[in-house]
Amino acid sequence: MLRTIGQRLADSVPTLLLVVTLVFLALRLLPGDPALVALGENATPDQLDLFRHRMGLDIPLWRQYLVFLKDLATLNFGTSFMNQIPILDLLAASLPYTLALTAAATAVGVALGVPLGVLAATRRGRTADTVARLLALLGFTVPDFYLAALLLIWLALGWGWFPINGLGESLPDQLYHLVLPAVTLGVVKAAFISRLTRSALLDVLGRDYVRTAWAKGAQAGRVIYRHALRNALLPVATGLSVSILSTLSGSVAIELIFGRPGLGSLLIGAIETRDYPVIQADLVVFAVLVVAVNLAMDLLAVAIDPRLRT
Amino acid sequence: MNIARRSILGGLPMAAAGLLGGTARAAEGGMSIALSARAVGTLDPTKTVLGADNWACRQIFDTLVVPQDGTFAITPAEFKPSLAQSWDSSADARTWTFHLRQNVLWQKDQGEMTSEDVAFSFGRLIDPKVVVSNKVLYANIATVEAVDKYTVRFTLNRPDPLFCGSSVYTMSANIVPKRAYTERGDAFGQDPVGSGAYQTEKLELNKGVTLRGFDKHFAGAPVVKQLQVLYVLDTTARTLAFLSGQVDMIEGARTPGWMQSMQSRKPGIKFDATKPGSINTLHLNLTRKPLDDLRVRQAIRCAIDSQSLANAYGAMGAPMWGVSPTDFAGSVSTDSLPPELRYPYDPERAKKLLADAGYPTGVAISAFTSQREDYSAIMLMVQEQLRKANINLNLKIIDHTSMQNDNRRDLNSMAMESSSYPPVPTQALLQQLSSGAVVKSDSTGGGNYSHYGVAMPGVDTLLEKALDEPDFTKRAALCQDVERQVLRDLPDIGLLTLSYVIARNPRIDVGYPVQSGYAYWPLRRAKIVA
Repeated sequence: MLRTIGQRLADSVPTLLLVVTLVFLALRLLPGDPALVALGENATPDQLDLFRHRMGLDIPLWRQYLVFLKDLATLNFGTSFMNQIPILDLLAASLPYTLALTAAATAVGVALGVPLGVLAATRRGRTADTVARLLALLGFTVPDFYLAALLLIWLALGWGWFPINGLGESLPDQLYHLVLPAVTLGVVKAAFISRLTRSALLDVLGRDYVRTAWAKGAQAGRVIYRHALRNALLPVATGLSVSILSTLSGSVAIELIFGRPGLGSLLIGAIETRDYPVIQADLVVFAVLVVAVNLAMDLLAVAIDPRLRT
Repeated sequence: MNIARRSILGGLPMAAAGLLGGTARAAEGGMSIALSARAVGTLDPTKTVLGADNWACRQIFDTLVVPQDGTFAITPAEFKPSLAQSWDSSADARTWTFHLRQNVLWQKDQGEMTSEDVAFSFGRLIDPKVVVSNKVLYANIATVEAVDKYTVRFTLNRPDPLFCGSSVYTMSANIVPKRAYTERGDAFGQDPVGSGAYQTEKLELNKGVTLRGFDKHFAGAPVVKQLQVLYVLDTTARTLAFLSGQVDMIEGARTPGWMQSMQSRKPGIKFDATKPGSINTLHLNLTRKPLDDLRVRQAIRCAIDSQSLANAYGAMGAPMWGVSPTDFAGSVSTDSLPPELRYPYDPERAKKLLADAGYPTGVAISAFTSQREDYSAIMLMVQEQLRKANINLNLKIIDHTSMQNDNRRDLNSMAMESSSYPPVPTQALLQQLSSGAVVKSDSTGGGNYSHYGVAMPGVDTLLEKALDEPDFTKRAALCQDVERQVLRDLPDIGLLTLSYVIARNPRIDVGYPVQSGYAYWPLRRAKIVA
């Protein structure tokens, strides 16, 4: 297992290097002057030059790149162009919220999606299957920001069950503030997971060993959950990793609507202001998260399917 | 995506209105305001560029002088004492002496405010090695010196009869304590110390700032002890939080119909709106065909209906005739103009002017603007108006930073600009129309995107004359001459002014009517009335 982890981590190094290089180059191709954004449109040319000098934007690109790599290697992300706040502080103020939202949404997605998929697969062609598929279709087609607005208007504004936005103070309060955003993203995720579960389970339910289990007179629950579902979970886990990664990077609209910070919001704000160090650091963290999630899913796959352990 | 979310909200206003409860859940015993921003930038007033940061800074810091609450000071006589108790200027308006109020205390036990602090604050603003926002506003200050403990003297390069408006009552000119500022360095922006009515209690980068009343403020402690300045970027999120009573005040959206739709959802809502607010102008690039032809520019002016643009925004909008809003000294109104400079909306005359210029079938002009809601909405309306005069505006909408960048690189033929200027007659003219501010392709130029004064004779001589005039009334009259010359040459067209609006829960009384001023105002006198 340790060898697998080591191998995966070693494989990820060139990927990360490629990502950070592409990020560095792409940023410099973007039109926009960080100095002008930071100082406002009334800034004088002298002030703009001074700002660029202080931020190291006036040295040749290759030197900027070397400085960037050196800083990265020493985990020195620097400070924001816009407010001189250490970037590690900015990441620390965003990353936990992104992870919490992703984890909670994934939990909701799995808790709703897997049973719905099992129900649809085991009742194939019957009313339950039709209803489950319709719900999944609805989950797929309703944009998350639209669902967020509906939930806010009904559950928060109308019935007052949940806060409109914000983060909460104590841990229970924070969890309470997390419910609506997590449900919003979780419902969309559940649609995806239920479809995956249904098709994977249908495939497995037709296999010989499942027929054998039925022939031996095993109970339905044992056949479905012990023999069939476990083997159907491998494609579900793979799909889940894609879903988690999309939530990590793509929940900006939800963060905005619910007034939550997150890596996505931090990135969009930094792109708007051409805050290069923040964008670079944010994307490096994303890249690391991608590697970490893929690694976790590989390990999960190994745990699910013993044949992968060799 | 914003449009889609807004349309969702627009589709469900009645449901929302019907579900509104009367319970105000806004800060118990305090008040809150939600502003359009993603995260706290800096609370160093010399470095802020975010509107939300400006709101917090306005409560934390004081300037030497202030206008009457809720107004702009249009003339020198309208300024009131603040940290300075009195002031006087030399006859040539080049030497200004401010006599400071005594026993003004800094927050967080940082001692008494003295002339050293004032000299330090302004010294940074004029030091070429120090980066601050809006440096250009302080370029006229030659020296600042602490004469004694409570007296500060400024020497200016050129006369300025409205020095209090052009330099002293500005965001960057809020006075900071020398010792605390030096000790904290860059961290001052996260842990500021001012002399204002509120001091920072808690700063959360992603959430906002909690302010606590400063009981030792020289004008007395604020009535409401706690003020939360919340940073909520999304318009939908702010609106719902306001409608639910979770926050007391929200920054409005500068979109057509926003005030009307809010009013229909909750009739009791109060609106505080500045006039004139942002000044929206359209620069016509004189170096590009067909805009180098005066008749084409006149056709564009005749094809734009400023009144109709303003009407789209309801009470937020007001038409413009020149490039300065009619509320400001030095501006011109349609009644004061000769008939040939009034340019009433007349698409048929526009077509005739185009035909005279050799374009009988019309012209096509390419331009770009920002996706920001005010820019894109205004330019799309302008595009539609121009179409009726056979002027086909190929409009590209790009992100705001790219627009700023490409405008500064002289890539635009028709650049719309939205700016908030103080009522200083020369300021907008200098920054948008003087040859010294002409845009350059290497982006080292300024905000004169039309090349006025370089591509054709401009208003430099008139402006110089105005800048050398120490008498305010005469200076304003000279600026009116500039406005008339600009209307003759049409390098720049005034479109409309757009108020900055805050929607307010009626349980909060600001303490004075908001009529004009910057897009932030003091809340020291605000009280909870219900």
